Amino acid sequence: MNRRHFIAASALAAASLPSCKPKGSTGDGDKKLTIFTWADYLSEEAKESFEKAHGCTVVIDTFDSNEAMLAKIESGASGYDLLVPSSYAVQALKRKDLLVPLDHAKIPNIKHVDAAYLGKALDAKMEMSVPYLMAPTCLCYLASKVPNPTDSWAMLDRTDLKGRVTLLDDMREVLGAALKFLGHSLNSTDPAQLAAARDVAIRWKQNIAKWESEQYKSGIASGEFYLVQGYGSDLLQAHQENADMHVVVPAEGTAFSCDDMCIPKGAKEIDLAHAFINHLHDPAVAASNMEEIGARSPNSAAYENLSEDFRGSEILFPADALFAKCEPIGDLGDSLSLWTSEWDKVKTA
Amino acid sequence: MKRPTRPEVLSTAPSFVWLVMFVLVPVAIIFAIAFRPALPAGGIGEGWSLDAIRALGDPSYPALFARTIFTAAVTTVLCIAASLPVAYAMARLTPVWRSRVLLLVIVPFWTNFVIRVFAWQQILHAQGFVADALRFIGLLGENDRLLGNLGAVVIVSVYTYLPFAILPLFAAAEKFDFGLLDAARDLGAKPLRAFFSVFIPGIRQGVVTAFLVVFIPMLGSYVVPDMVGGTDTQMIGNKIAQRNFTDRNLPEAAALSGALALLVLAPMFLRRKEKTA
Repeated sequence: MNRRHFIAASALAAASLPSCKPKGSTGDGDKKLTIFTWADYLSEEAKESFEKAHGCTVVIDTFDSNEAMLAKIESGASGYDLLVPSSYAVQALKRKDLLVPLDHAKIPNIKHVDAAYLGKALDAKMEMSVPYLMAPTCLCYLASKVPNPTDSWAMLDRTDLKGRVTLLDDMREVLGAALKFLGHSLNSTDPAQLAAARDVAIRWKQNIAKWESEQYKSGIASGEFYLVQGYGSDLLQAHQENADMHVVVPAEGTAFSCDDMCIPKGAKEIDLAHAFINHLHDPAVAASNMEEIGARSPNSAAYENLSEDFRGSEILFPADALFAKCEPIGDLGDSLSLWTSEWDKVKTA
Repeated sequence: MKRPTRPEVLSTAPSFVWLVMFVLVPVAIIFAIAFRPALPAGGIGEGWSLDAIRALGDPSYPALFARTIFTAAVTTVLCIAASLPVAYAMARLTPVWRSRVLLLVIVPFWTNFVIRVFAWQQILHAQGFVADALRFIGLLGENDRLLGNLGAVVIVSVYTYLPFAILPLFAAAEKFDFGLLDAARDLGAKPLRAFFSVFIPGIRQGVVTAFLVVFIPMLGSYVVPDMVGGTDTQMIGNKIAQRNFTDRNLPEAAALSGALALLVLAPMFLRRKEKTA
């Protein structure tokens, strides 16, 4: 093909592109719902059934930390119709007046949301956000390398594992775990409690190989680490690679963080975003989405649609007494600098 | 100094504008943010404040800066020490072999940097061949790891920056008149003496360039200490990332970045002084 032919051919190809669109994608079908969320956090099935029902396309953009998401939204990023940050980040967005209040009339399915969970949620009335998925922060150990394991944060003090332990590189998780270990709330802003938690974290630090928020999964699956602190759904996924891994919810309680759906100011498709929230809390959709992602949606009506295996998971559905000891991570507001200064001392100790 | 002519101005304008837009302006913004107050819940406040600059007086920072400079210096010295014999050998090869070996030096660059660091994670894996072998001969304890310490950071950094050191040294060695080494030997110098007293001073400019291209990026190193380092190998780059992403204290992140920028400029000024002297 010579150059002129090539140009002609590509012009032809370009001209024929619009006609390739599937039928029904004209008019209303050109609506687009843009979601800003975590990676791999929505099942293909849930997405496609929504697109079909509402004749729209769902576009997903991802972030890898709440702080990164906050920074982007605060600096004026627009074009998102729905955000899925952790609860405490929703509070930060709310405080900065960056969210649209929800219209409950458009989300009939929120009647399925677990009342017991809402009792301790940060947005108990769901004014700004509706809970999506949650999972606890867990400890995970290699059964063949760790003799006499317990289901306590005290495992982090075991000097026989020195150098083979990792903690999350996240002050909320590490100081939070230390606070729980001492019997306090993991959202404490009491300076004395925080100072005590800092000392515990410094003691744990003597034992650890590194601060690690990402590669603890492959690290423990490949035997580099023997004991790691990590996120429940990640560890359950990694568990499929290495059956020697044992995931436990520490008996003192832990962070049971939830990611919530909320609508940012400036969203173009506010009605569609409400419809999407409603769709994900449909009991059947919620159940299949939960099993696909490996996390728990606080949707009590969906629980009966779950497979027995999944419903029996002690990680996602811990016994009531233990679940009562777990808390979502709260928004620190103006106490952030108090936490930051204690965390700095841990990091430099 | 004579005034630049019009064609000179025109021909340098694109790169000059580029540098102003994408280097000078961002650096100026960083320095400006360092003098802003931080909001308690993250973000940059109104008005001006010296808090972020004062925070640099924290007693933990001198240790962090010292560790950063030490890690960078050790890496640079090892890089140059390993590259000198390579550059010497390459310069003595026939032109055909020279380009082949040069290709071998460059080829690893075609793979992504992060993937190469991942590869090192496998090589130095606590249950890997190297660790098992060292454990077998009793050099490594049962629970000890090869990763997560300063040694791992230096090894991987040396590996990463080695080609940057080899290339300028080779370029200088290629122009070196090897007859001078014969002359040195005729005058009674042993081979090592000739190498250190004649060859190295002869490629001095190459050594200085190699030093700069390894030492300066090493000061801002972030990925390597993050991926193969441990709790006590943090460098300035990691601290800036923590201030930025976790603490959301942008003014302190900016103050640290500013300090790092000044630290990076120091060797440049040294070089300038040397040139004009």
